[in-house]
Amino acid sequence: MMDSLFPPENFSLLALIVAFPLLGAFVNGVWGQQLGKRAVRFMALTAVGLSFVASVITFLALAKLVEHDKGEHVKLAWTAWEWMHTTGGHGNTEIPIQLKLSVDALSGVMMLVITGVGFLIHLYATSYMEDDPAFWKFFAYLNLFVFAMLVLVLADNLPVLFIGWEGVGLCSYLLIGFWYQELPNAAAGKKAFIANRIGDFGLICGMFLLVHYTGALDWTGIANGSGSLVSTVDLQRVHVWPIGGGEFRDIGFLPLHLLQPHAGNITISAATAIALMLFLGCTGKSAQIPLYVWLPDAMAGPTPVSALIHAATMVTAGVYLVCRLSFVFVLSPFTMTVIAITGAATALLAATIALVQNDIKKVLAYSTVSQLGFMFIGVGVGAFTAGFFHVFTHAFFKACLFLGAGSVIHAMHARIHDGVQSQDVRNMGGLRKYMPLTYWTFFASTLAIAGCPFTSGFFSKDEILYRAFVDHTVNPFRIAAYSDGGHWAAPNWVAPAVFIVGLLAAVMTAFYMFRVMFLTFHGDFRGWTIGRASMISHSEVSGHGHGEHHEDLTKPGHAPHESPWQMTVPLIVLGTCAIFAGFLNAPIIKIGGKPWEPMGKWLDPVFEDAVKAVGFRQPGEWAASMEWPLAACGISAFVIGTGVAYWMYIAQAGRPAKSLAEAMPGLHKLLMDKWRIDELYEVTVLAMVDALADTFAVFDQSVVDGLLPRLSSLIVVGLGTVLRVFQNGVVHVYAAFMVVGLAATGWFFVAPHADATVTVSDNGDYVVQASPGMGYSYQWDTNGDGTPDEKTFGNTQQVKVHLDPGKSQTVRLEVQNAFGLHGAKEIPITRPSAPLEVGQL
Amino acid sequence: MPVEYYVTLSGILFAIGGVGFLVRRNVLVALMSIEVMLNAVNIALVAFNRSRPANLNGQMFTFFLIAAEAAEVAVGLAIVLSLFRIKRTVRSDEADLLKN
Amino acid sequence: MDHWSQLYFGFCAALAIAGALITIIAPNPIRGAMGLLLMIVSVAGLFLALHAQFLAAIQLIVYAGAIVVLFLFVIMLLGPDATPPHDKRGTYSRAFSGSLFMLISVALLWLVVRGGTIVTLPPVGDEFGGIDQFGRELFSYALVPFELSSALLMVAVIGAVAVARGNHISKKRSSVLEPPAAPKPGGANLELEPHGGE
Repeated sequence: MMDSLFPPENFSLLALIVAFPLLGAFVNGVWGQQLGKRAVRFMALTAVGLSFVASVITFLALAKLVEHDKGEHVKLAWTAWEWMHTTGGHGNTEIPIQLKLSVDALSGVMMLVITGVGFLIHLYATSYMEDDPAFWKFFAYLNLFVFAMLVLVLADNLPVLFIGWEGVGLCSYLLIGFWYQELPNAAAGKKAFIANRIGDFGLICGMFLLVHYTGALDWTGIANGSGSLVSTVDLQRVHVWPIGGGEFRDIGFLPLHLLQPHAGNITISAATAIALMLFLGCTGKSAQIPLYVWLPDAMAGPTPVSALIHAATMVTAGVYLVCRLSFVFVLSPFTMTVIAITGAATALLAATIALVQNDIKKVLAYSTVSQLGFMFIGVGVGAFTAGFFHVFTHAFFKACLFLGAGSVIHAMHARIHDGVQSQDVRNMGGLRKYMPLTYWTFFASTLAIAGCPFTSGFFSKDEILYRAFVDHTVNPFRIAAYSDGGHWAAPNWVAPAVFIVGLLAAVMTAFYMFRVMFLTFHGDFRGWTIGRASMISHSEVSGHGHGEHHEDLTKPGHAPHESPWQMTVPLIVLGTCAIFAGFLNAPIIKIGGKPWEPMGKWLDPVFEDAVKAVGFRQPGEWAASMEWPLAACGISAFVIGTGVAYWMYIAQAGRPAKSLAEAMPGLHKLLMDKWRIDELYEVTVLAMVDALADTFAVFDQSVVDGLLPRLSSLIVVGLGTVLRVFQNGVVHVYAAFMVVGLAATGWFFVAPHADATVTVSDNGDYVVQASPGMGYSYQWDTNGDGTPDEKTFGNTQQVKVHLDPGKSQTVRLEVQNAFGLHGAKEIPITRPSAPLEVGQL
Repeated sequence: MPVEYYVTLSGILFAIGGVGFLVRRNVLVALMSIEVMLNAVNIALVAFNRSRPANLNGQMFTFFLIAAEAAEVAVGLAIVLSLFRIKRTVRSDEADLLKN
Repeated sequence: MDHWSQLYFGFCAALAIAGALITIIAPNPIRGAMGLLLMIVSVAGLFLALHAQFLAAIQLIVYAGAIVVLFLFVIMLLGPDATPPHDKRGTYSRAFSGSLFMLISVALLWLVVRGGTIVTLPPVGDEFGGIDQFGRELFSYALVPFELSSALLMVAVIGAVAVARGNHISKKRSSVLEPPAAPKPGGANLELEPHGGE
């Protein structure tokens, strides 16, 4: 029944998955204010809930299809309409771009995570944002975000993915700056958007290069044309110096020929250029070095926003892109190494900053950056399944951590009524006995993130570190990557270095997560008197309407209380998943001697092209023999980190931390100030941008506002004076001018215009269609040998040319119009090369 | 009698009429040269109709052209009279009331 | 028979061209009108050679009998002012536009005629171009243009009368050709006044 209702090529349930959140956003956005809280809540929850149900149905349909076509990379697709045409593929081939959604194994998992975790967070937010006046706006934005994220993962081609990419950036901006009346929040929103934008530039450049080299923008098309991305032929590579190719020659007396490199132009393969550009986009969206600076500031938004966007979904879009285009990334071992090193550096940097932060949300933000670094280590060494599995588990435990933090902040805020102080860990403590549910779920997720054995975080993180040590990427086609015939491979120190850095980051992760947990939930509550004194003047002055009571602010007040069920149920669900979801890809669960690993088997067809390029650094049994030693390293990282945290904060009650901070004040200050990276950016990049802006301002005032209007008015007046002569009112003279126009028009009609458009079908048939004209007859020369196909001019308006992959041909069209005049045009056609066969590793 | 001869004659007459319209300043002579041009067109139409005698479309077109052109002459001469009444001349140079 | 028809064509063509040339060259518009008449009559002769008998008759009746007469009436009405004295202003622009037009026409004509195959006219019956067939087709296929052209002629009549009537004619003017009295200050010059005052 499902087959007839929803055939695989026209799977319109995809449209529903995407349409429900959009509808919810629209209704809430336009009528939300009048509808009231209950209706808004209902609309938002049902929108995401129905989307989740549709996602589950789609997933089951996909599973059935996978079972049916064993081992093949299948997908369900749905086309909305044809969006536009573009030309590419080395020539003037027209490429249609369609608004097409498709789901395969990879995007199926993402889709479930987005809608499932999204639904839980929506439920949480209905209680968290209860008292906010702009309740309706929040849910409109949140639904819009879910819509944009779904478009991103369900896209079948890069332009549609870019719509989703930009959409989530926009929603991130709107939601981070949700309380925009406070200036820092608005600034944080802007920072997020601008940092993302810099990354988007990379993504767009990557798209342009892809459409030029492979002649397609959808996943199957890029795969088909990926053979053109690696080449030693100079013309088909990207020229880095001199930029764009060509040669430096002297201009006049300037000795520019000195800039010419000695051994010929410096080129990189197209795959490297594209992969680097796409990775720039990923650093923006997924907060890696250098563009991670927006994520900690993004904590200015409400906690459900941080949970959904900056933990579970949006920041994983970069990893998703790398996984999606894995077969392009592996064509460039250089970029894979860059990705792995960047991921490792980011993981370490963020972990060091998180060691000393006091704001609970900031710690979690840096933890997110660090875990994203782990994911990029995973995909950078070629362990795509492992990296993606970490995305999957991270969504659960990080969302649980953020929601738990939100629960804590909610309880603190009810007492303190101060935004900043209620997030400060130093004001908390001993909340275990007041908020037991929050405590246990937080504890479960902390175990997961720290890598406690048998939790989900352990399996995913361990797999990544193991593969980082044993894998390396080779150029799969054994083609020389440089024009001098060399063969680029990663140096030998990269893999151990990445492993050690990752291990260090894992130790620090365990440490700082348990630090936060101990400081928040264990010990005695330190917040009895904090903030109360400041509240006396505050509420007298502003009438801070919490709609409550006039408390006696000299007394300690109520104890912190557990959150309502809408907030604790998601915590319980997510916490359970954080513990148990790891078994989906755990190598230790064996069925009949071989590992069960359902998720690995599920994702295998997606990455089968890419993993051909990934192998072990030493042949034979070396990789298998390293499995247990490296796992032991991971377990010891957990034990060390947790042990040190326990000793410091429970056994010694925080004294070593204070003494360390006093012993190394410089280092401590540096870490507190986030290594002063923001300040560095301000002095270098922002200063340059400011200088540029000042230059343009001066230019605007003096030239555009001063010179140009005067100049243009001068021209207009001058022309008017001249043209006034022609308007002498005598009709005969006007008739004389008409004759001149008649001559020009006649020339245009009498001269023959030869033009043609080229459209291409999948099997390499190029149809060349001549543009029609009055009285035209056509003569073609399709095989490029100089003699026309037919001796006389005929009426054939289109010809078909078949090209093999990688070949090119020139078609010549001659037209003769009714006056017997001839015109000609040459049309070059090139077909991009097919993906090459992989050699033996 | 091949149709090209008629077409050539039509072209020559059209050229003569056009040149006459553009060169002569007397509006009456200009109007008469327009007549010459229209007659040239009529010859061409009837000649083409004769070469494809399936129907009488060309001749009917000519018929309506004559009618329309008669109307045009009437109105044109009325305008000449008005111009004369205002400026007391039939020279097109002097009819520059719309100058600038 | 063929060279008789060629002779006839040549004769009519020569007269037509001569008439056209007289029209555009003669300084006296009366002479020009006569040239026009000559051209029209020779075109009527050509219509006869092309089996368009009805059209030839119409040509003579409408063109020669009405339009040329109308021209002559207006020329006579204008009197000696119809032939203004010659002056040299604007010679260059006129010469330029005239020669450009001549060039375009000659070029187009050459393009059209060169290399084309000589098409001999197919034989036709006597019915072709006669008033019977013409009437039948006129009132069946061409009924709408026919009605519209009668409307056009009505509009032309009204328009010509309205344009040529001009201002209110006072008893003080001797002829319609005298310029009107000086315009009243603050009023438009071309208002039509009601009939009653006449």
